[in-house]
Amino acid sequence: MSILKKLLPLDIASGMKLTGKYFGRNFLQANRSKKHIHITVEYPETPISIAPRFRGRLQMLRDEQGEIKCVCCLACEKICPTQVITISKGKKEGRKTPFPTRYDFEMERCIFCEFCVESCGFDSIILNHQFELAAYNREDFSIGMEGQFQDMFRVSPVGQHSISSTKNPDSPDYT
Amino acid sequence: MFKNEELEINLGPQHPSTHGVLRVKLRLDGETIVKCTPIVGYLHRGVEKICENKTFFQGQVWTDRMDYVAAVSNNLGWAESVEKLFGIHVPRRAHYVRTMMTELNRISSHLLWLGTHALDIGAMTVFLYAFREREQILDCFESFCGARLTTTAFRIGGLREDIPPGFIKQVQAFQDRFLDCIDEYETLLTENRIWKRRTIGIAPINADECIAFGVTGPVLRAAGVKYDVRKAFPYAAYAEMNFEIPTRTEADTYARYLVRLEEFRQSHHIIQQCIDGLPEGNVMAKIPKVLKSEVNEIYHPIEAPKGELGYYLVGEKGGQNPYRFHVRGPSFVNLQALPQMTEGRLLADVIAAIGTLDVVLGEVDR
Ligand code: SF4
Ligand code: SF4
Repeated sequence: MSILKKLLPLDIASGMKLTGKYFGRNFLQANRSKKHIHITVEYPETPISIAPRFRGRLQMLRDEQGEIKCVCCLACEKICPTQVITISKGKKEGRKTPFPTRYDFEMERCIFCEFCVESCGFDSIILNHQFELAAYNREDFSIGMEGQFQDMFRVSPVGQHSISSTKNPDSPDYT
Repeated sequence: MFKNEELEINLGPQHPSTHGVLRVKLRLDGETIVKCTPIVGYLHRGVEKICENKTFFQGQVWTDRMDYVAAVSNNLGWAESVEKLFGIHVPRRAHYVRTMMTELNRISSHLLWLGTHALDIGAMTVFLYAFREREQILDCFESFCGARLTTTAFRIGGLREDIPPGFIKQVQAFQDRFLDCIDEYETLLTENRIWKRRTIGIAPINADECIAFGVTGPVLRAAGVKYDVRKAFPYAAYAEMNFEIPTRTEADTYARYLVRLEEFRQSHHIIQQCIDGLPEGNVMAKIPKVLKSEVNEIYHPIEAPKGELGYYLVGEKGGQNPYRFHVRGPSFVNLQALPQMTEGRLLADVIAAIGTLDVVLGEVDR
């Protein structure tokens, strides 16, 4: 028996049977069955589903009147482990609360930990769902209140895909 | 110094089988290894020193980046050490969720180990199968905390938020198919004659040597020592969990493989208990906005996938950051056993030995 076991590669055959099963299944059903059997997706064409809690790029929010929600309490600047947020306090006509004249965010050093969002007691910042954060110049990673392609309110054109494939961060059902 | 026929070569630092930037200096006599010296430090970032300059809240993000394969375990260690230092009591529900996440992380870490270890030794297929399941776990992490690898999963005092709706269903979906997946890995490897030839009797280290080197985790358990921090010093919700510590006595690469496969099953069992017994309640303890420590020191070990991960924290009076922080990383300590495992053996076995120790260079170098 043991000689037979040694001669016949049954152990290897059972492994081949398993891989053959998967090969056959994927080969025959690949584009036919309605059931989603693929593990991979054809990425830029097929949008990727992102979890609602996904931590992407930092973004500032405006309230219903279009006012910047941030009131310059500097909590986010203080908690940030990598110190990538720099805020300057200022005043604006017709606004009681302080107003950020400068809100600089250096994305290349951000580690997407969400501590800033947690520390903000005014819900004025979120981490949106943008994960395509590439840029062509180093300066493009320093994001401020104003910018040519992206700023703290607009995301970069490179990242439009990842934004469009998820829920709108401004909508109320966003978590 | 050199005998006539001896030749010194470097394995790494840029070698695909060293799982990072590990350099191993090998002195060879033919194909036999005369001397083996692991050289570490290529990825040194000074995590301990950085954490001493960050507050207790901020420190957690650096633990993510030590053992990046098992970030959740590292987070748990940090959160629990700080809680121990300040005497914070975490709600029971948070303990359960933490246990569940850590066990999922143990599975994902072992899956990465299984895939890459088999790939190093020459079994390509298992890699694809293991990563298929790992993907599902990382999806669970993504819905739980928003990130897949550098999770920053827990907060001091509990969890940041309760589990998201549908999360239990997602984990249950993984649970339902994972036992079959383990059987698939077993079909591919356990009886496979090539795999057995490459692992049985390779890179042995007996129990006494393991203890002398301070080796922990599956390597120690494969040498027959029934030591697991989860049982020895229960933390999180492990005291309420019912599970076994798998051990073997052969102390070779094959035995370690079997131990880790059994740990898959035990982790699966623990996750199921967490799902079934998940208590209601809040997930965050009341903690002050600013943590100011007293003069105090603690050592808190947890069972990371690779072995005993211990955090040593010293607090100074009124300090917002640790006065001293030290990590006892399992990968670093386990790596010391490499010369013992390989000297006097063949060159090809070094790859198996590095794989079976399951080192992550982010944690070795820190
Ligand atoms: S996500 Fe973290 S690193 Fe990035 S800006 Fe916020 S606090 Fe700083
Ligand atoms: S924590 Fe919120 S309100 Fe305070 S400065 Fe930061 S963004 Fe503005």
